[in-house]
Amino acid sequence: MKIRAIALNTFKETIRDRILYLLFFFAAIALGISRLLAVLTVGDRVKIIKDVGLASISIFGVLMAILIGTGLVYKEIDKKTINTLLAKPIQRWQFLLGKFFGLVLTLFIMTLAMGLIFLVIVLLHTGKLDSRMLLAILFIFLELVLITAVAILFSCFSTPILSSIFTLSFYLIGHLSWGLETLIQKTRPGTGRMALRGLSAILPDLENFNFKTEIVQGLAIDPRFYLFSALYGLVYTLFILALAVLIFKKRDFI
Amino acid sequence: MTKTATLRRKGSATLLIVVLIFLSCGGLVSLKTAVDRIPRKKIPGASIIYIPSGKYLKYATFGYSSLVADLVYLWAIQYYTTYTIVDRFQNLEHIFSIIAELDPRYADPYEIGALIAVNEARDLGLALKILDMGLAKNPDQWIFPFEAGHHAQRAGDYETARKYYEKTMRIPGAPDIAKRLYAAAGFRTMDLEESWKIWLEVYNTAQDERTKRIASKHLYQVKSTSDMNLLKGAVQQFRDRFQRLPSGLEDLVRVGILASLPRDLDGKDYVYNPKTGETKAPSVWWKR
Amino acid sequence: MAAVLEIENLFKSFKVGFIPKKREILKGVSLSVAAGEIFGYLGPNGAGKTTTLKCVLGLIFPDRGKIEIFGHPPLSAKGKEHLGYLPENPYFYDYLTAAEFLDFYARLFGLRKKDKEDKIATLLRLVGMEKARDLQLRKFSRGMLQRVGLAQALINDPALLFLDEPLGGLDPLGRKELRDVIVRLKQEGKTIFLCSHILQDIEMICDRVAIIVGGRVISQGALQSLISERVLFTEVTLSGIDPADLIDLGEPVSTLGDRILLKVVQEDNIENLMALVHERRGRIHSLVPRTETLEDIFVEMVRQG
Repeated sequence: MKIRAIALNTFKETIRDRILYLLFFFAAIALGISRLLAVLTVGDRVKIIKDVGLASISIFGVLMAILIGTGLVYKEIDKKTINTLLAKPIQRWQFLLGKFFGLVLTLFIMTLAMGLIFLVIVLLHTGKLDSRMLLAILFIFLELVLITAVAILFSCFSTPILSSIFTLSFYLIGHLSWGLETLIQKTRPGTGRMALRGLSAILPDLENFNFKTEIVQGLAIDPRFYLFSALYGLVYTLFILALAVLIFKKRDFI
Repeated sequence: MTKTATLRRKGSATLLIVVLIFLSCGGLVSLKTAVDRIPRKKIPGASIIYIPSGKYLKYATFGYSSLVADLVYLWAIQYYTTYTIVDRFQNLEHIFSIIAELDPRYADPYEIGALIAVNEARDLGLALKILDMGLAKNPDQWIFPFEAGHHAQRAGDYETARKYYEKTMRIPGAPDIAKRLYAAAGFRTMDLEESWKIWLEVYNTAQDERTKRIASKHLYQVKSTSDMNLLKGAVQQFRDRFQRLPSGLEDLVRVGILASLPRDLDGKDYVYNPKTGETKAPSVWWKR
Repeated sequence: MAAVLEIENLFKSFKVGFIPKKREILKGVSLSVAAGEIFGYLGPNGAGKTTTLKCVLGLIFPDRGKIEIFGHPPLSAKGKEHLGYLPENPYFYDYLTAAEFLDFYARLFGLRKKDKEDKIATLLRLVGMEKARDLQLRKFSRGMLQRVGLAQALINDPALLFLDEPLGGLDPLGRKELRDVIVRLKQEGKTIFLCSHILQDIEMICDRVAIIVGGRVISQGALQSLISERVLFTEVTLSGIDPADLIDLGEPVSTLGDRILLKVVQEDNIENLMALVHERRGRIHSLVPRTETLEDIFVEMVRQG
């Protein structure tokens, strides 16, 4: 169907993007460096490898999502390729979803590749495979999906540079959510506090997807929390995409 | 300008550039080696010291706090092995508390921090503080009070060691040896009753022969020390009364100072030297 | 015959600048295109040709006015099923080959696999791009992109084809080929809406035209009715005559060597001129009557508007 056609086309476009391979190259180097760093430590070496590994997948994944996602819609508008596309019998929301799924597919492949390198390195070091590492990587991917949606949202109305800054801010704010919590507790009860509470409800809590620390330390995680996080991620992504469709719907392509 | 002259000019320009590249490269390398030889007062990244509190650093790490903890820890290891920085122990507690705030469950820094404090800074109190921090953030980890006990014991502070071994004992999953160490430290602080009680407990709950043997050796030691104290006190009493040493331990019973003579754990009599007035146990406790 | 495209009173303004100032582009455009004709939409740059087109295609939302394509509003799927669009200065996905590109668009129309492949092959042949089938679009020249653009516009065999400045940037051979293709498409029964400011081509192939100036359609109708067959003047190139003798007969435009280009307005003077040349044993190299062209009308209308 039509979304699939756009998605596949977008996939072809993004998988050939050189930024992707540059970032992947750096990620591979970072994963390799984790082994070096591990040599420098006194004590548990595997922890260093796991921490650096997961952090690399996360950081470079986010960079890929932002750098490619923010150009995705903008490029079509700027280069006017969108004009011939929308003159065909395709709805604007189908176009947007197609772009989204195309990039998600690319990111999936990249995450898989980085994840595999990481797991191989961990396997070489410990001789065993922790299935929970897969969970950590899965939730990193889920976070990437949400970031992609945000990048596409901004790409609908803003230049790539501004969109990158906005999306990055979204990511950073998402990880500062409990800074807001502390602020709420320190504020006196009243309208100010209620406003902050409202803000904290709507602002993204990306820490929900962050299982890196717990999994590396081998701590137990309530399975309900996994389910909740996954649901939260999907619903928030839906919310962002709906916003994007709305903004995109009434736009004039001069 | 003729063609060859122009070409020559172009060629010499390229040659000039190449020479410049080589010269600057050589300059770089020699400068770097020269700078490296100067001992550094600080090493790079030392501005970590100036961060007021780990609590706020955690906010700035955007979900990568355990990674940052690892990196600060790695940096700290390099920092504390740079012997040219003479005042580096000033911030030991501060830096390791930063690591603790970033990743409280990371065990290595507490242990290594304490090791550095004890061995390099020669500050037992500092080491104990760090391990206390570890225990506070990880009440289920017996390793922290256990190591604290060891450090205190090595420094000769048996009272403190005993307190820590007791803490260790109370944590579920602590190894049995903690109990024994507690009892042994207790013995050193001369709390013989407590020591006896614990050793007896160890003896009764021992799962294997080896532990039973160790326990019984210590029980012997405690009893014989207790008995010998008693005898020494009695001998002194006799001396005060009669201005001379008793000829044998039976004298003490005869004159009524002691109701009966204590026997060692095996039922043997204590050995008394009438010339020096010293009592000795018939067996060496750890050879039994 | 039912109108294929009907535009009634179209208004569109944009907010331009940092402190948004309203700029009116379309100030009440109305036109009507019948089935099976080649309709020319002309106007100077900035008159609103492309804006009108984009309103029709649903890329821009007009402020006021009615647009109907085969009786449907612009954004409906039904409206778009039978449309084809070739934009001005076409640019397509760099990284795809010509065949991949056409395949992608074909999929948007839901063409079946076998039909798709046939269609792509036929279209590439039509626009003369079969050899470049597997070449990446990033390597295409402007003219090649234009041809592929036309192929893409025809992928669904549209009944109504929109071409925005399709002849710009083509070499003379390319322009002739494209004109021939357009005429052939008309013969197949398609309706063609042609935006252009190259009046010679319009004159050659269009049936009806509309002229837009300053956001308004100031003239609309069959080409023949707009242009009279009246001869404006005759251009005569001759040699061997003393320029002094020619003053009464016509206006010298230029001189090259001993050849003189003369502009003769009075028809009688032509006969007199020919008699003179014959008498003086001169030579007439060319005699070209200039009728009123579209360009003349156009310039006049723009000046008036």
